[in-house]
Amino acid sequence: MSLSVKHLLGIKELQTEDIHTIFRTADNFKQVLQRQIKKVPALRDTTVANVFFENSTRTRISFELAQKRLSADVVNFSASGSSVSKGETLIDTVNNILAMKVDMVVMRHSASGAPWFLANHIDASIINAGDGINEHPTQALLDAFSMREKLGNLKGKRIAIIGDIMHSRVALSNIYCLGKLGAEVMVAGPPTLIPKHIEGLGVRVEHDVKKALQWCEVANVLRIQLERQHKPLFSTLREYALYYGVNKQMLDSLQKEILIMHPGPINRGVEINSDVADSKQSIILDQVENGVAIRMAVIYLLSGKTGLGE
Amino acid sequence: MQVLIQQAKITDKRSGFYNQVVDILIEKGVITQIAKSIKIKVKNTIKADGLCVSTGWVDVLADYREPGYEHKETIASGLNAAAVGGFTHVCIAPNTNPAISTKSIVQSVIQKAAGNIVSLHPLGAITQDVEGKNLAEMLDMHAHGAVAFTDGWKPVQNPQLMLKALEYVKAFNGTLIQIPVDNALAAGGLMHEGETSVRLGMQGIPALAETILLHRDIELLRYTGSKLHITGVSTAEGVDMIRKAKKEGLNITCSVTPYHLVLNDKALEGYSSMYKVMPPIRGEADRKALLKGLKDGTIDCIASHHRPQEWDAKAKEFEYAADGMNIQEIAYNLALQAAGEERIADMMTAARDILGLGDTNIEVGAVADLTMYTTSGSHTVNSMQSTSANNPFIGTTVQGKVVGIINNKQVHLNK
Repeated sequence: MSLSVKHLLGIKELQTEDIHTIFRTADNFKQVLQRQIKKVPALRDTTVANVFFENSTRTRISFELAQKRLSADVVNFSASGSSVSKGETLIDTVNNILAMKVDMVVMRHSASGAPWFLANHIDASIINAGDGINEHPTQALLDAFSMREKLGNLKGKRIAIIGDIMHSRVALSNIYCLGKLGAEVMVAGPPTLIPKHIEGLGVRVEHDVKKALQWCEVANVLRIQLERQHKPLFSTLREYALYYGVNKQMLDSLQKEILIMHPGPINRGVEINSDVADSKQSIILDQVENGVAIRMAVIYLLSGKTGLGE
Repeated sequence: MQVLIQQAKITDKRSGFYNQVVDILIEKGVITQIAKSIKIKVKNTIKADGLCVSTGWVDVLADYREPGYEHKETIASGLNAAAVGGFTHVCIAPNTNPAISTKSIVQSVIQKAAGNIVSLHPLGAITQDVEGKNLAEMLDMHAHGAVAFTDGWKPVQNPQLMLKALEYVKAFNGTLIQIPVDNALAAGGLMHEGETSVRLGMQGIPALAETILLHRDIELLRYTGSKLHITGVSTAEGVDMIRKAKKEGLNITCSVTPYHLVLNDKALEGYSSMYKVMPPIRGEADRKALLKGLKDGTIDCIASHHRPQEWDAKAKEFEYAADGMNIQEIAYNLALQAAGEERIADMMTAARDILGLGDTNIEVGAVADLTMYTTSGSHTVNSMQSTSANNPFIGTTVQGKVVGIINNKQVHLNK
């Protein structure tokens, strides 16, 4: 088993078969994670650096756990803000880490395209842990993996992505991933948070969240990226919560039971209410759990090792 | 200096020898004979298969960064690049430190370029220190050699200031040059807004950022009856607005960059900062509209928008990398690819009249200010004369060749 790519930069570069390969591998690792000893020795001789130029809690922990459960050696590098603000260039920072014999780099960066830029300058495999407003491929994989777990084959399934589409790398990676898996995708939210021309990616656009919920089988509710908004894109959080937030009343008014997802961290009471986030329809914590298995699969497949090392 | 150009087709429409293949004898910098065949022994002869000759080419807008940013481009290295690119006249942006916004800097850059084969023409700033606040001393700069005025890549945003500037230069029949970008609408944008920007997860710069400013400037031009040159027009709508303004009889001209003519936004798919320019490289429909504008005469000429950047300024994440392309040396080749043989000589020379750089012609008795080139053949772009090398076309094959230039009683021949 191997992937058609050397790096996981974005879902846009993956073949559909790559996604299935990652899912099958993650199925195995998910079983491993249920055991008493949640660890395999597959990457004993591999060192991975988690290089985070942007704050992250869950993604970083998830990657680190995935690496540790594969028995890889792990180093963490965090810098708040960009490499530029620290005075060192991205290439220098990463090359310094690689000089210490690191095999793989997991990077989060505030600039769209940064992992592609890095891939042109270093030899090690790169996993994109989120770049700017572009992609967050492992999140999309774990989202689709979690949907697959509940719904089976995603072909023809209706998925609504709700909220701040414009500033969300989760949205774009999800659109690519679900598209490759044959699902139908709708994006919903205020017009100012949905990029013009997005229909070109083959998605439907809806501005009425209630209609989106009626249409879909899964609602992936995105966080309002307050930190990414440099422009006046909506009036107040109050108005947003009132008209675009997902609440229990909305869900109860539907004739069906849909799945609720959220990539976290949640702004409770803004894009989603607690009575939805914590409801039995919510698979938010399944997403988190699956994140480790998916990341184990991606790291393992990109490492080029064969056999699960058991 | 005695030079004989042999069997060259004259492509300048103003010449009485237009479209004829002739020999041209130049002595002490002056054309002394033009004939079907000149039988005279001369040490320096220039000949090439398919040789063409036009009056010397003019670059409307280039960045040489002296004083202030000599690590990007000096006047000397910039002029070398211009010579390789076939330009005998280059207008440089006030993108220096201190900016070209006073007489003394105008004089200083002219002095630096004195004696060079390429004639350098400073463009003075419209506003003091290119800050967009108060009018610079345009009258005084004009009196000392500034040929036109622009704030370069910081286009004037304040409409009242632009209005006053357009009025002010009427006193000496001056020209303002504007790159049409509305900063507020372009804010945060990294590339052309379209399906590709959505696909790449990069914030877009809408065509609106161009058309809103252009609309404003055309209205101001109509009101003032002044003279305006728009450079770097990049959108279909923009070309159309200029077409209409010309039809109406407004004193407006425009130029286009070579890279906007041959590239579309798909070039950014690998996130290479080499393609980060302002105005951004637009969509294919826009590119086609530029070609149409070129054909019907809406677009008058080429402006290289040569912007050298040192390696470190470009070897960064796209968002943090500097704008600009180092393009002067191959501006002709890209323009040729877009404009074709018929239109190319016009495109490379028309700025001379627009900016009032003085009459010249290919006729006996005229001062030799010539560019020699071929339109056939191809070569690989490699070593650059520029101090910087931020040119994504290095290593690619381009059509046509600049054979050399003659100007200021000197000859430069490319290898």
